[in-house]
Amino acid sequence: MKKKKSKVTAYNNWGYAFVAPFVIVFCIFSIYPVLRTLYLSFTNLKVVGNADIIGFKNYARVLTDKFFWTALWNTVRIWIVNIVLQLGLAFLLMMVFSDVKYKMRGLAVFRIIYYLPNIIAATSIAFLFSTLLDWRYGTFNIIIKSIYDLFGAKYNPVNWIGSSATAGYTVAVIQSWMWFGNSFLMLMAGVQSINRDYFEAAAIDGAGRWTIFGKITLPLIKPIMMYVAITSLIGGLQMFDLPFLMIETASSAYGSVQTVMMYLYKFGFTTGTTQVGYASAVAYVLFLIILTVSVVELRLFRGKGDK
Amino acid sequence: MKIKKLLSVLLAGAMTLGLVACGGSDTGSKASTGSTSGESTEVTADGATATELDDKLVIWTLAQDLEQFAERYKEQTGVETEVVVIEPANYPTKVQTALVGGETEPDIIVGEPQMLGDMYDAGFFANLDEMGAKDYEGQIVDYVWEVGKDADGIQRAISYQITPAGIYYRRDIAKTVFGTDDPDEIGKLFKDYPTILETAKTLKAAGYRIFSSDSEINYFSGDSAWVIDGKLNVDEAREKYMDLVVDLYQGDLTAYANQWSTPWYQAMAGSVPILTAEIQNYEDDSVNVWDAESFEEATKDLERTEVFAFGLPAWGVLTMRDNVKETSGLWGVCAGPAYGFGGGTFIGISSNSERKETAWDFVKFCTLNEETADWWIEVSEGDTVSLVSALEKHANDENAVYGGEKLYAFWLEQAKGIDYSKVTQYDKAIDDAWGQAIGAIKTGEKDKATAINDFYDLIQSTYPDMVIER
Amino acid sequence: MAFKIKKGILYFLLVLLALTCMLPFALMMINATRTGADIVSGFTFIPGKALKENWDTVFDYFNLFKGIWNSVLVSVPATLLCAYFSTLTAYGLAFYEFKGNKVVFGAILAFMMIPGQLSLIGFYQLCTKLHLVNSYIPLIIPAIAAPGTVFFLRQYILSSLPKSLIEAARIDGASEIYSFHKIVTPIVAPAVATMGIMAFIGNWNSYLLPMILINKTDKMTLPVMMATLKASNHINSNQGAIYLSVAISIIPILLVFVAFSKYIISSVSAGAIKE
Repeated sequence: MKKKKSKVTAYNNWGYAFVAPFVIVFCIFSIYPVLRTLYLSFTNLKVVGNADIIGFKNYARVLTDKFFWTALWNTVRIWIVNIVLQLGLAFLLMMVFSDVKYKMRGLAVFRIIYYLPNIIAATSIAFLFSTLLDWRYGTFNIIIKSIYDLFGAKYNPVNWIGSSATAGYTVAVIQSWMWFGNSFLMLMAGVQSINRDYFEAAAIDGAGRWTIFGKITLPLIKPIMMYVAITSLIGGLQMFDLPFLMIETASSAYGSVQTVMMYLYKFGFTTGTTQVGYASAVAYVLFLIILTVSVVELRLFRGKGDK
Repeated sequence: MKIKKLLSVLLAGAMTLGLVACGGSDTGSKASTGSTSGESTEVTADGATATELDDKLVIWTLAQDLEQFAERYKEQTGVETEVVVIEPANYPTKVQTALVGGETEPDIIVGEPQMLGDMYDAGFFANLDEMGAKDYEGQIVDYVWEVGKDADGIQRAISYQITPAGIYYRRDIAKTVFGTDDPDEIGKLFKDYPTILETAKTLKAAGYRIFSSDSEINYFSGDSAWVIDGKLNVDEAREKYMDLVVDLYQGDLTAYANQWSTPWYQAMAGSVPILTAEIQNYEDDSVNVWDAESFEEATKDLERTEVFAFGLPAWGVLTMRDNVKETSGLWGVCAGPAYGFGGGTFIGISSNSERKETAWDFVKFCTLNEETADWWIEVSEGDTVSLVSALEKHANDENAVYGGEKLYAFWLEQAKGIDYSKVTQYDKAIDDAWGQAIGAIKTGEKDKATAINDFYDLIQSTYPDMVIER
Repeated sequence: MAFKIKKGILYFLLVLLALTCMLPFALMMINATRTGADIVSGFTFIPGKALKENWDTVFDYFNLFKGIWNSVLVSVPATLLCAYFSTLTAYGLAFYEFKGNKVVFGAILAFMMIPGQLSLIGFYQLCTKLHLVNSYIPLIIPAIAAPGTVFFLRQYILSSLPKSLIEAARIDGASEIYSFHKIVTPIVAPAVATMGIMAFIGNWNSYLLPMILINKTDKMTLPVMMATLKASNHINSNQGAIYLSVAISIIPILLVFVAFSKYIISSVSAGAIKE
């Protein structure tokens, strides 16, 4: 008996070996840099050189700076427009493809096409759209103008990425253009995981397709919608590449599209405004916000699991 | 309980890491063996015999110009050169991270004036006075020499260029509209902000646009520095500049391109499409938008337009060189409303470099060597060097793109008026913020008072230590 | 009849949406063959004749193929390491009871929520201390520790790998390493493949970290090289060349997508169901 137990322990010791490479690399490349940033967030380090520990001053500054809050609001606002479009479109598509009456075909092809924009690097997407959407000379406005001309109407060109009224929405729409395919795939996976027997049983009971949708599909798809929305929020709070590469810093639209991550970049990596200590504090405040969202997420799903 | 465990693991991880890091720094140091190249003694560009040049130099630069310098340097000395061109937006970040990390490469680093303050403070540039820079005092145009000094007056960097700003204008359009293409006469049309506005209106009436973007007079804006003794300084000229930009924009007087955007370049080569008037509002109802024919007639002349002028520093000659295409020869250059300058690549040595002697030789080769200056003037087709002797020598050179105008004499004259003390390390951020305010006013997003107030707020947020009086 | 019309309308809308997904790419392809002057003066679906000219402008400025090759050199090893070590770690966490197991798992959960830029400054300082600037090592090695992938695979292993299988192998005298390679790997292979392809795309598209770490032109990965477009006046004065650069830059990932779309689709779908 005793011998066997020690043998199990011996087996279990293999766990250390299996996990060791991960732990070593993880400590070096993940934990150390994060701790280093934490340390820096309590200093007044600007660019390089010596820095003094200044306690929570940086944090106080983050929380009292209205531009930080504007950046947070911009981020959330862009995210909301994005998620409504993205999830709404995905939801409609899911309805169409899961409809028991129409039995639409071609899902395999459509979902690949819808997913396509998601795999392209943001650098390429940003260059592509900032060229296409140029106010005066971009192909988008030129096409719209020629359509207007066709009807003899006059088109007042919209400054898609240069005006603060539209820039945020433009970014949001591009963002949802990139991501709706992803959401659609997830919702569809949810629908397909529903046992077909439910549908058949319901059909035999004479339930109409709207009843089936409302009583079976919807309740089962709800948690997935929540999951998509919340993971998207966590990602959305870190939004950076698209607005950063598309909106010029001297543009009047900048203030309305600056995201938290761009705010961080301004103080972390931009010449003339580099204040590494402060940027580190911004990073941690953002982290705490994301943590809160994640905890709420876990709560929600734990709750679901208990039911 | 869990948190305690997590913390202990984090700590353990950090400790392991400390060990690894210490171990690492002992090993990897590169042995810089000076395997001298076959050709024993090379004559440097200076004419002096090179003591002992290293076999390689690593150069990080902002623009492609230095690639050509490096190529020529290699030909003359046999020193291998590796040039890395990094876009300005990322340049400071890269230099910063490399030098803070103790990298011994690059050997040569550069900076534009507004980056230099930070870079001096951070100690990135080696002391050139120790290398003997003082011996060359007076050979370089004054303001360039001064920009290359840090706050304590130590020489840190030198530029091979001067970058006084001027107005580049189309001679053919000038003749048509104003009856003259003489730089002095045209200069009068740009002598102050109200006059520029009048000039713009005259040009529009004649079917042209004065500028491609509304940022063309940016180089001439402001009478004094943005920050004086840690205090934000918004002088009267800044506000007047703001008003001018707003008027230009709202009066539909420019071609609405963004500076440095593709269409902005294209306006150099000739006509660009312009959509009709009353773009900003529907107030102008002289055009019947509902009747296709009369609409066509009313907008016919405005569909495409030509741009009259660009406001650019002396290196704009290179930009023009690449983009004027068929309009070559039709250009002229005259003075703007004030003395201004923009950009300029300042070359220095990384304080971490292990090849400082060779690097200094390279800096001298680029900036203080008359032969190089002659060569550069020729291959760049008109860039303006900072070496006084070369400028004087070429004072009578005529530039074909500009109808034979003698540009070097002009630039040298403009450079004398430049006040270098206006440059601060805060310029980029403050210029951007001021630009945002102007943009918000001109498009009607905010009224002037609100926009300026927001500007102050933004500066306060960016530089909490700065004194700001509203 | 009405049914058929309605269905027809639905198909029409679906196709329209599909076109919307591809339109920007189509515009890009067409504009890549036209001159800058043509592009600003109007749009047409007929390709222009300036492809060669634009091509020369682009390759005069940078060698995109070199960038693509560099991206391969980074992404492929990173993906393989990520796949192998994540499986190993996930298996270790799922099947072995050892001190610290829960701590490691807790740390993984915590780090899944940490924004990448949180560690950027510290990460670079570390790389320079270890003399790893301009090396691909800091872009490749950290792939060994990918919390998200480990988390996903751990859940997958727990749900799809019966413990009895391993125990039976032990009775037969198989070593733990042997069991891992011969029993565990084949079973989790589909899940690893789906995670692997996503890791590959992530590595391929990564911009910020390589931008800061790689300074040598001949070592730049594709996205970093693309971003240097901003530094070139020459190329910026021609919209056609910009479109062509973007077009070339997305071709490799499109090929990967076409070849592995099955795995990509199932990877995304798996994310939804596993939760």
